[in-house]
Amino acid sequence: MRDRGATYLLLAPAGLIFGTLFVLPLIYFLVISFWRVRLFKLKPDFTFVNYLQVFELHLPTLVFTLSLAFLVAVLTTALGFTYAYLIRFKAGRWGPTLLFIAMITLFGGYLMKIYAWMTILGITGVLNTALRALGIIDEPLPWLFYNVGAVVVTLINFLLPLSILPIYASMRGIPDIEMEAARDLGAGAWRRFSDVVVPRSQPGIMAGFALCFLLAAGDYLTPQLVGGKVNMIGVQIAPQFGGLGNWPMGAAMSFVTLGSSLAVITLALYLFSLWRPR
Amino acid sequence: MNRLSDILWAAIGMLFVLFLLSPLALVVLFAFTNRPQSAFPIESLSLRWWQAMLANPNFLPAFKNSLLISGTVGIVSAIVGTMAALSLAQLDPWRARLAAALLCLPLMLPPLVLGVSLLSFYSRAKVPMGPQTVVMSHLLFALPFVVLVVYARLRNFDFRVVESARDLGASPLRAFFTVTLPIISPTVIGAALIATALSLDDFVITFFTIGKGMTLPTFVFAMIRTTVTPAANAVGTLILVMTIGTTLMALWLTRYRG
Repeated sequence: MRDRGATYLLLAPAGLIFGTLFVLPLIYFLVISFWRVRLFKLKPDFTFVNYLQVFELHLPTLVFTLSLAFLVAVLTTALGFTYAYLIRFKAGRWGPTLLFIAMITLFGGYLMKIYAWMTILGITGVLNTALRALGIIDEPLPWLFYNVGAVVVTLINFLLPLSILPIYASMRGIPDIEMEAARDLGAGAWRRFSDVVVPRSQPGIMAGFALCFLLAAGDYLTPQLVGGKVNMIGVQIAPQFGGLGNWPMGAAMSFVTLGSSLAVITLALYLFSLWRPR
Repeated sequence: MNRLSDILWAAIGMLFVLFLLSPLALVVLFAFTNRPQSAFPIESLSLRWWQAMLANPNFLPAFKNSLLISGTVGIVSAIVGTMAALSLAQLDPWRARLAAALLCLPLMLPPLVLGVSLLSFYSRAKVPMGPQTVVMSHLLFALPFVVLVVYARLRNFDFRVVESARDLGASPLRAFFTVTLPIISPTVIGAALIATALSLDDFVITFFTIGKGMTLPTFVFAMIRTTVTPAANAVGTLILVMTIGTTLMALWLTRYRG
């Protein structure tokens, strides 16, 4: 059929970009994770030595990264849920404004947000100077900066819009009449929340959680700029493509990170899917 | 609703807004300080860090690169993405959802992994790295947004007007350019602006695929990895004004329909 052909022809450029710039590079990347490096040159091979080395050298970092990503994803999802709930049910005429703020912070300022937290949490930063000016502390608190807490706060700050928007998109689909029906049938505030709002928001919660987990697990700038000695797997992957020049090792580390992240996400989402109305 | 819970929710809302906006507000504020640190107190406002930014020999090439790359990404992803969205609108919903989900996969990959896999691929395929490779790489994450936004618009589109044009003898192309495109063009332009904003803001993928050049975000990164100076705030403010400005125009044009 002529129309059929035209339909697929329209999809062809996007498919070509997806195939040559996403699928092909990932396949090549998977292939080189089994190669070796000699004298800074890639040598085709079929060896699992890179994968073994990831576990030998980087297992503690990997476990730490996954735990931190889990913590960040859980906190971000909880906060994103609260914000979406506020927009949908509590904010009234302020709802659109709150949604608007979430949208403009979504598309801009990844690097600038991390940089802003450097200026907020540093020794001469905004928080320390403010606390000193208020007379709450005499000496700057050095522990505000270069630690796990700073990494968690910064990650949550730039991931939050990514969790708010999918959750709100799901919540927008809950008709008011359903909430009223639940109330008329005698459901208290908690029952309405756990039997209507949460199950109806599940797709958005799951999408937001998965996205936040993957982006947190794969981030390397935040630990590098505000984390000090905080060691995440991304901080180890990036130099494999710079000074260290060991691409096969970097590729193996990337795939181990992706695989283990997907495993944790699947488990977490399975457990969450058990939350059903009674 | 009782009074206490209203006050509580208002307070929670204000805390959220403060948390989301204050980092960005501080970046802008410190761009106008007259002191050599990005810190309080600000004694008086000054433009000295903007002059420092302009005086930096790396600034202008980075600025030009950013405009060139993000503009190209916006135009190319608008064309390719609109074509794909038109195609999805003609497919049955199941196939359309599958194709859209596949196109969104690059968004699920951490930018670091996407960046380094593209770096090794370009180097293997002997593609010389520069603005052209950055544009190609940015299409991967810009395209899905255009497809989703335009596809959402097309699902509320009354295709009967196109059918009347076809019945009156217009070719498919003519029907598209004289009927469909004028109706959906605000959405297409809005989607292109979102793609532009995403491209302007990207640091990680640009960093790995640009080779020797710079864009505004990699220029800022080179500044802040050594010391915290308000000159970085000036460049950061410029990036924020450009990304948030294009996003605002996009939201206004698409009227949240995305």
